[in-house]
Amino acid sequence: MLTTIAQAVVNGLLIGGIYALVSIGVTLIFGVVKIVNFAQGEFVMIGMYISFFLATSFGIDPLIALVISMLALFFIGVLLQHFLIRRVLALGDMPQIFLTFALSLLLVNIALLLFTANYRTVQTAYSETAIHVGAINVPLAKLIAFAVAMLLSGLLWMFLHGTDLGKAMRAASQNRDVAMLMGINPDRVYCVAVGVALALAGAAGSLLMPFYPAYPLVGQNFVLMAFVAVVLGTLGNITGALIASLMMGVAESLGIQFVGADSGLIVVFGMLLLTLALRPNGLFGGWSR
Amino acid sequence: MATTWNSTLAKRRNRRDFLKKSTGAVALAAFGIARKAFAAEPVNIGGLYPVTGSFAQIGQGCVNAAKLAVQMVNEAGGIKSLGGAPLNLIVSDVQSDTTVTRTETDRLINAYKLSAIHGCFASALTLIASEVAERAKMPLLTGSSSDQLNKNRRYTFTPFSRASQFAEAQLQMSRLVSDSPKVAVIFENTAFGTSTSNGLREQASGQGVEVVMFEPYSAGLTDASPLINKVRASGANMLFPVSYLNDLILIIRAIKQNGLEIAINGGSGGFVIPDFYKNVGSVGEGLLGVAHWNHDVNADALKVNENYKKQYGEFLFEYAGGLVAQTFMIADALERAASTDPQKVRDALSTLDVSSGYAAMGPGGKVKFGPNGKNIYAHPVGVQWQHGDLATVFPKEDARAPLLKT
Repeated sequence: MLTTIAQAVVNGLLIGGIYALVSIGVTLIFGVVKIVNFAQGEFVMIGMYISFFLATSFGIDPLIALVISMLALFFIGVLLQHFLIRRVLALGDMPQIFLTFALSLLLVNIALLLFTANYRTVQTAYSETAIHVGAINVPLAKLIAFAVAMLLSGLLWMFLHGTDLGKAMRAASQNRDVAMLMGINPDRVYCVAVGVALALAGAAGSLLMPFYPAYPLVGQNFVLMAFVAVVLGTLGNITGALIASLMMGVAESLGIQFVGADSGLIVVFGMLLLTLALRPNGLFGGWSR
Repeated sequence: MATTWNSTLAKRRNRRDFLKKSTGAVALAAFGIARKAFAAEPVNIGGLYPVTGSFAQIGQGCVNAAKLAVQMVNEAGGIKSLGGAPLNLIVSDVQSDTTVTRTETDRLINAYKLSAIHGCFASALTLIASEVAERAKMPLLTGSSSDQLNKNRRYTFTPFSRASQFAEAQLQMSRLVSDSPKVAVIFENTAFGTSTSNGLREQASGQGVEVVMFEPYSAGLTDASPLINKVRASGANMLFPVSYLNDLILIIRAIKQNGLEIAINGGSGGFVIPDFYKNVGSVGEGLLGVAHWNHDVNADALKVNENYKKQYGEFLFEYAGGLVAQTFMIADALERAASTDPQKVRDALSTLDVSSGYAAMGPGGKVKFGPNGKNIYAHPVGVQWQHGDLATVFPKEDARAPLLKT
């Protein structure tokens, strides 16, 4: 019984790492640029296809492809901010929602057209291996994904707190006007923020590829959990999103184990409702960003 | 001068003679050709398959097989009792849609002088087509497995095993793995998942199989590990996932990742087509399934499989292979009926009794229809993915390869 619980917690933490990469991206864009990116899941999908084609055409391991997909998506993010999001920033919520939602639909359908609805998998040497810690199984591909996700989150934190550009990003997120008065160029900061957020989605895609099939609608599976994590961890709070994602992974896993496999999400959404009732700003509302 | 005249006359007469004779010969020849063409007027048979929509991939494979089968019948001399009349396949796309299936079946029957129909792969579509065909008194052959197709039908013939037999075979196959099978059934919480899994649960005790876990899950898993953790805790030694491809890939991979020693039987349908292995890759190796037909059942099937493979690059899958046999059953009925009249073809089908040749190339090796249109000899076979190919491993008398231990 203890083993079963421990295994469930490990499983939850490992997938929570992937949720974290997606939700940190969403919360970063929201925190800095103040728009909700509904297309974040589709950028995970793009990251997956980049890794898939690099693996099948050039034999590049998804973990190495990670660098390429992160760079590619950073670039896409900068273009997205500069040519699309920037234009709707002053227009209020609706055009912003339409923009990212339309982008999500567009990307899914382009992917359907280009890649068809088939499932694509990449087989790596470590896809099916696991490390055994006592009676607990730790799948290697997921452990690597988790470790890299945590590493990237840590690097992001250091970037935001230790570099001028990162500090400028936090300043712009706290107060755009004052930041401008202090000589910060918000457009540039926004471009970097969206770029970094998409790069994280790209990383999630590459990390998923060794153990998850790629298909055009794959992003939707992760984006729901990411949004719950973003709200649970307080909108715009990166540490909050990270912790909330891990909590949700564990809650889902325990829910499947002890409530039922079709009701694992009950625990997750129960947690969300309870949090919203008691702490409407999320678990980490009022904490520093 | 006179001689010139005479010779001219003679020439003329010759020409007239020639014209007279040659016209006659041409006319005679023309008449002969016309007669021959009349005698060997092609026999129209309809093929209703979803070539677009969600079943498109499989539907296209069915059409390919149906064409190949017609070509085989025609190359062997067509229907001899009808003067060597060739078969003419008229394909209609039912678009994976029940409404379209209704109108297309109706249109096909009314627009062409058909002798028989085959279709439509998916049971949901075949049920509709069968209703229309019954009303139009048009014989219909199908490999669809729904038991519903054998209720109150006179013109519907099902040469292959029924859905209820599939569940039975799947349960029996768990004995390949253990003498005291403990089965875990995990199914997506949809109509397909619920009905299939209930069928398995209802028959389990009758087959002496213990169901230790019966668990619905929400389709579209992000992670199958928690579910597999639960399967492990249940102590099952056999897993029946009732899932679509995406979840299935995750489930199979999670089992490998978690080092769980368990046999997997995924049932029928999308599980036993080449596309499945193409998508899943080597993780599909050793997986068990159930099929109403497999390309290794006998020498005839292997021969057709070779031909199909040469043309389309993939092995001949369950439904398509059965379809080739169905075409030969229709040819056999036409031969004995010596008529293209659908009613006579129907009567000939109802007395069909073959135990050799392409019409009989299926599990059981014989075809004879009972009063409900069921082939009394039909049974499903258990198959296993071995090196990217499907090998028959169950029951013993049909097994063509030893069970691959995974």
